[in-house]
Amino acid sequence: MNFRQDFPIFITNPNLVYLDSAATSQKPKVVLEALRYYYENENANIHRSAHFLAEKATVAYEATRQTVADFIGAKHKHEIIFTRNATESINLVARSWGETFLKAGDEVLLSKLEHHSNLIPWLQLKEKIGIEIKYLDIDESGQLIFDESQITEKTKLVSLTGMSNSLGVITHLKPIITKAHEVGAKVLIDACQMAVHSPIDVQELDADFLVFSAHKLYGPTGVGVLYGKSDLLEKMPPFLGGGEMIQQVFEDRFIAGDIPNKFEAGTPNIAGVTAFKAAIEYLNSVGFETIQKQEKALTEYALEKLKALPYLKLIGPQGMKNRGSIISFTIDGVHPHDIAEGLSQKQICIRAGHHCTQPLMDYLELPATARASFAFYNEVEEVDKLVKGLEEVYEYFNQ
Amino acid sequence: MCTMDIYAQNILDRYKKPFYKDKFNLSGKRVAGSGKLNLVIHKEANHSCGDVVEVGMKFVETQNLASLQVYSFSGNGCAISMASADMLGDVIVGMNMEDILNFSKDELYEVLGIEISVRRSKCALLPLLAIQNGVLGHQKEALKSWKDYHI
Ligand SMILES: Cc1ncc(COP(=O)(O)O)c(C=O)c1O
Repeated sequence: MNFRQDFPIFITNPNLVYLDSAATSQKPKVVLEALRYYYENENANIHRSAHFLAEKATVAYEATRQTVADFIGAKHKHEIIFTRNATESINLVARSWGETFLKAGDEVLLSKLEHHSNLIPWLQLKEKIGIEIKYLDIDESGQLIFDESQITEKTKLVSLTGMSNSLGVITHLKPIITKAHEVGAKVLIDACQMAVHSPIDVQELDADFLVFSAHKLYGPTGVGVLYGKSDLLEKMPPFLGGGEMIQQVFEDRFIAGDIPNKFEAGTPNIAGVTAFKAAIEYLNSVGFETIQKQEKALTEYALEKLKALPYLKLIGPQGMKNRGSIISFTIDGVHPHDIAEGLSQKQICIRAGHHCTQPLMDYLELPATARASFAFYNEVEEVDKLVKGLEEVYEYFNQ
Repeated sequence: MCTMDIYAQNILDRYKKPFYKDKFNLSGKRVAGSGKLNLVIHKEANHSCGDVVEVGMKFVETQNLASLQVYSFSGNGCAISMASADMLGDVIVGMNMEDILNFSKDELYEVLGIEISVRRSKCALLPLLAIQNGVLGHQKEALKSWKDYHI
């Protein structure tokens, strides 16, 4: 099946080889149409005005909440909070839940794989209230090394990625989550990459919080999701204050509204949220089975081709086991920036840098890596172009 | 036959065969010339790509004007940052501290002779940042940051 035609960017840029979907995905036409449809037909502020247009906008916005709840298997739609992005979702949990329920000496367990967005909010909390941060190590394949002694009575939160954006490793979360709950710790899952490549069931995972961004999931930028179990969300104080999040306001105090509105202060990205529904519907219409089949085929093929280059070193998992469609690598004697620059001349987009995982890069003793990531709209010919491009870059620097 | 032409030949040449790289003897031995000797060593990093440049500069003070006699750098980075560090040596040796501080981004880009995209501006400027902050530190002045280059 050819999915490329569903994505206008490949029509305006017919030679584009986009291998940076882990940074942000391209957007299908249906999402762009939904954005336009909203502004042309339903634009009004939600939850506020008592006219028919506001009703339409509110209904459209709230419909996405149900779609997202269904997408991740949440029990209730009020367990879905819309934010700006996954980063804001994690900050919300750190500020609201963390500052209320954590105290000096309490431990938050992270891993070496975490994205800065799942590090800094906890480091900020460490600065502010003196919590302790612990890290799970990783083995040579990038998998988390976990033994039960790492979670103790002191552990109050375990916050882990479901799939590494730097190395592509799919983490084994289940035993960690089980142990965390045994000692009464809460669990936050960073599902930014995981949500794009596999179905999520928050009940089955038993996550207390789970976050992701719409823009990596074929939706618009500016929309993030925080899932939280309702009993937790209900006990948490508001994060930002303003319109929409209150029940009653007096000169000297306020009463916060109910969830989810309590956490959605101010006019949200109504258009973006509305269009995110179209993205999930599109994703569902393609189906995870097809997505996984295509991404697996591309990754397998790319690994085989890349391994044949003697000067290229794969970073992270060497094979297909526990790997999503992300491949990190370095090339002898060529800085990742120079690799990306050379490829860019051929309209091949990859990422070069630390991928917002500086502690991981330090751990691997690498300044940076080059990273190619595949989505179901990519094709085998694009992998060939990547490999040919890499050969030329190497030759250019070694001629 | 290589079909790539990523950077201009001068950049590639200076990246592969740098003139000023790892030349510095940090023992602080006196170099030729008389007058008061000032040794300036300073390191800057571009954390977003892991590039690091450390510069070493020997200034010799004559008639109250310290001019740069010896320049060297060490570091790790992409072709643009390393070539920039090297090519800067051609222009700043002989300058006094004032001239070095006045050396602008545009003048650097002119020396490099290639178009520097926004996404690579920090690569090109990292060595200049290291050089200028080395001088500013020596003068006990506030150091520069990226925003001072308006990128
Ligand atoms: C694993 C992971 N976590 C968190 C983030 C942060 O996402 P955002 O920048 O959309 O908040 C990203 C994406 O950059 C990611 O890949």
